[in-house]
Amino acid sequence: MALSSFTTPSGFLLPSIHSAPPFFTEQPNPRTQAQFTAQWTRLILTYARHRKLFMLRVEDAEVAGGDWDEILRNERINRRILPSHLSSLLDTMVASEQAAFEPPKQSRAAIIYWRTPEEWADALHAWAVATGQLNTILTFYEIADPPVPSPLSGIPIPLLRRAVTFLVKSNRAQIISVADGEGVRLFAAK
Amino acid sequence: MALRRYTTSIDGTIPAPALVYSDEEVLASQDNVGIYDGLQKAPDHQNGTIHVTSHRLFFVHASRPHALSFAMDLAHIVRTESYSGLFSSSPKVTLILDPDTAYDDITSISASTSTLDIAGNVGVSDQVNFASWTCEVCNHRNPPGLSPTAAKVCALCGVPRSAVPSSSSISSSLPSSSSLPTSVLSTRTATPDIPVKGTTSEITCPACTFLNVPSRTMCEICGTPLPISTAGASAKSAPVSRPVTPSGGGPNANESLIKISFRKGGDKAFYAILRRSLKAQAWEGRRIGAGTPKGGPGSGQGTTMAGGTADTGAPRRLGIGIDAILRNVETSAQNTEDDLNDAFKDLDALMIKAKDLVQLAEELNEKLTTSSSTTTEKFRTDTVPSFVSSAASSTVSAGSSRYEQFTATTLVPSTEPEEATFIRSSLSQLGLQMANAPITADMIKDERRWVEELARELAQVLQGSPNDFGRSRPGKAGPGSGVGIMKRRGIVALDEVWGGWNRARGVSLIPPSTFLQALPHLVTYTSPPIQTRTFKSGLMALHTPPYTHTAFAARLAGYLTIFDGMNTPQVAEEEGVAVGLAAEMVDAVEQDGTICRDDLACAIVGGGAGGAGGAGVDVRWVMNEWEGYQWDGQE
Repeated sequence: MALSSFTTPSGFLLPSIHSAPPFFTEQPNPRTQAQFTAQWTRLILTYARHRKLFMLRVEDAEVAGGDWDEILRNERINRRILPSHLSSLLDTMVASEQAAFEPPKQSRAAIIYWRTPEEWADALHAWAVATGQLNTILTFYEIADPPVPSPLSGIPIPLLRRAVTFLVKSNRAQIISVADGEGVRLFAAK
Repeated sequence: MALRRYTTSIDGTIPAPALVYSDEEVLASQDNVGIYDGLQKAPDHQNGTIHVTSHRLFFVHASRPHALSFAMDLAHIVRTESYSGLFSSSPKVTLILDPDTAYDDITSISASTSTLDIAGNVGVSDQVNFASWTCEVCNHRNPPGLSPTAAKVCALCGVPRSAVPSSSSISSSLPSSSSLPTSVLSTRTATPDIPVKGTTSEITCPACTFLNVPSRTMCEICGTPLPISTAGASAKSAPVSRPVTPSGGGPNANESLIKISFRKGGDKAFYAILRRSLKAQAWEGRRIGAGTPKGGPGSGQGTTMAGGTADTGAPRRLGIGIDAILRNVETSAQNTEDDLNDAFKDLDALMIKAKDLVQLAEELNEKLTTSSSTTTEKFRTDTVPSFVSSAASSTVSAGSSRYEQFTATTLVPSTEPEEATFIRSSLSQLGLQMANAPITADMIKDERRWVEELARELAQVLQGSPNDFGRSRPGKAGPGSGVGIMKRRGIVALDEVWGGWNRARGVSLIPPSTFLQALPHLVTYTSPPIQTRTFKSGLMALHTPPYTHTAFAARLAGYLTIFDGMNTPQVAEEEGVAVGLAAEMVDAVEQDGTICRDDLACAIVGGGAGGAGGAGVDVRWVMNEWEGYQWDGQE
């Protein structure tokens, strides 16, 4: 069975395993399933980074037409991932801190950490430095939805808050309450 | 002689129900019976029907019912014995008769002189009652046809009948029932059912001059009492014509018993009814008060009553009150117990005999087996040397007989001599083929050996006779001839093996626990070795080497590579095993991670509907080719 990788319309290069029907079935054998889960995790993270997708929901496996269709379904081999399978994948990713349920205390939707909060913190700081916004107070919304597109465009507020928390710990930022929510003042690295 | 002294002749052409008294009833009948007079067969009474009524026994001769039938009062019977028969001897009921109640020879006109004095030989006791009479006290007209006892008292007022014309010819030793005869006249004439052959003259009615038949006591027209028929009297008083009684008239044991031989069975039921009838003592029935026979107002006939009557009457008159009921219950319980004891004694005796027989058969069979096994083994070593394995040679004898058990008849190794074959087949047809018999715990004392023997036996059941290997068996190509359960199948679930084994054993079935104990030993006795395998679900199976996990996994990998994925039924078909077993085996391989599943529930179109876990048949198995998968997608 010669499986080959495939490039999606969005320009994403799917791995060859995505063309294998068993890949979409949740395997009872834990070892086999661990292998498949690792590939799935990597696939999800890679695709999320490619498309800059932050949220993955179980609903994405239930209904077609979402952002994730290119990896959750494979029309060429007539296979799709079952919601239950996706749900357990999310569980695994959350457990290995590659994702976090958002909102917390449920398991239907999660923020995919295609960058870890630390990496986001660095990215935020680098962006602030690059755009000359050190020592100014920025609201979370200004960061997540800047007038000029940035690497952080579209970042979910909870993820942003976690990134800022890291900056606060390393004394590179200060959280300030502002009228319309929260604000942050970034400092130059010491 | 008893026959003559206790019975009275009757006309057997009349159906039994018509012969009985009005208060008597026929309880049972049995044909094909013969009568023994004493210990000897009564030559004239060897084929007839016997009826038992509440009062009497009737014997109706089959071919000459008119001449050779008789009746006997149950009152004569002191005791009864039953004999259930043996081989050609028919079951019999012995009636031991009371010597004191025997008719005197004068009154009992011999049955053998039957036809001539027919009127006379309708026993006195019977005839007494066939007349109607008028009670002196209440003037009630008592109907005829009552039994002697019942006829003794007035049906209305219960006063004993007193006006008995003293009959000259009735002796003093009459039984109680006949102690109240009306007269010879009535005796004679009150039996309208009996055809009178020796009619000498009609009786002229003194009032209307109608010529009445001699049997009437009253004129048929006007009801006037008729004068005594002289003809009847002469018949009565003709003792000269009767055969001479044996001298020394004292009744001995032989004379006072009668046996009824049941040539065609029916004795049990008959005997039970007879006993019940005897117990009921219906002939004592309507007697009033205790002392009636002796102390009644009609003391005039006291002289006619023999002492014996009172003696025999007294102990029988127990059928009154709670005491009698209790006694009846006791008696029947006692009878039941006796019968049971007898039956068990018989059974014990039979078992002892049977044991000898079985032992004999066992020895014989053992001899045959040893001789045949040596020859067969020699034969095999000569012809098929390649086959000889230790297991085969050690189990050859058991194997051959196991073979026979499957084919159920006479099959023995063909090298056995003809005679041995014949003997063996005879034994097996008798169900005495001991080597065939399943091994039971009591045959082997040692627990370990018992289990090992069981394993050996099981091996035969599973793999069939070792004789089947290598050579053809002429004339024995019947279906399933000696083929064991696993002869053609590599893996069989344990439940099937257990069921098959117990079916082959037939008796002394093996409980599952013992079965499991025997399994580990199985590998020693089987070739190729059969092993036990427990699946993850707990299902256990026996399998041959090709069905070990690794061997199967290798084969499965081959199938999956060739066919590019298969579902479980396809695997089962390929392997020739049950789908359930195949599923278990495939699951076991999946546990290894060498294969993985492709659930059709994951199909976008078709297959599983909406991902509801209807998996199972829809699962396709494919090789797991992603063990060390290298990421070839987008970084």
